[in-house]
Amino acid sequence: MKVSTHLEKVERLDALRRRLDPFGDFELWFWITMIAGTNAVNAALHAAGVTDDSERFPTQPGVYLVPDKEKPGEWRPTLASLGDVLHVGRPRIEAPLPPMLVAMCAAMEVIEANRDPCVRAERRITEEIVDACDDAYSRCLTLMREVLTESGDTDR
Amino acid sequence: MSPEAHRRKAERIERSLAKCARKDYEAVIEAAMLAGSHWFNMALHVFGLTAEDDDVVHTYFLTGNQSQRYGILAGDMLAALDAIEQLRPLYVRGNAPGGEAAGRRAFELLARIRESARAAKPAV
Repeated sequence: MKVSTHLEKVERLDALRRRLDPFGDFELWFWITMIAGTNAVNAALHAAGVTDDSERFPTQPGVYLVPDKEKPGEWRPTLASLGDVLHVGRPRIEAPLPPMLVAMCAAMEVIEANRDPCVRAERRITEEIVDACDDAYSRCLTLMREVLTESGDTDR
Repeated sequence: MSPEAHRRKAERIERSLAKCARKDYEAVIEAAMLAGSHWFNMALHVFGLTAEDDDVVHTYFLTGNQSQRYGILAGDMLAALDAIEQLRPLYVRGNAPGGEAAGRRAFELLARIRESARAAKPAV
């Protein structure tokens, strides 16, 4: 997706995130943190020229939904080169990354490490976990802005 | 996780879901997927189809044999959860037109899953 679309999603998700209680709403707060952060990574990857920003939506690594030209309004899966990633590490990016993107991915890995234990299992939600996710998210968004500024991306 | 722990997680996520507006359709779809997964796992454990340490993460990770077996007792829930999963690439990861309607659809599908899961009784 285009950088501007990722940024629009980040903005809306971030506004919701601010309305949620990191403890009382942990599961959704965490999930929004993760998907907003992933949109930020995708925006930065496109701006840095690492991944393709064409309008196709990932279903699994290497498979994207594209408009079905024979059936207007419908979508079909297709095999394609790397566009948006589903999660940091899914799929792994083989191309060398600029240092700021390496740091963004490292921040997202801090968040991702808490996904299954805290949302799909019963790890106790502590202040340390909330702070670690919150710090990593803030770092990720700050780095995204720096990547966009450095790339001179005006599509936002 | 135990059935009771799945129920608690699902209900927590649904309470958070109430804070979402229509324009937050990505969050609504994701919350429906997460809460729906917990209800579905609760039902599978109650039916006796899966052990408490054997949770389904996403419907698309199920093998054909698992889908067939779970579908016998939990076919309606499986179909509804799978329908929620189908919304995610287009409206959460993508920006296909109709996001708010997709969010409402996910909410309705979650209600179906919840109702069926709450009615689950030991069967196997």
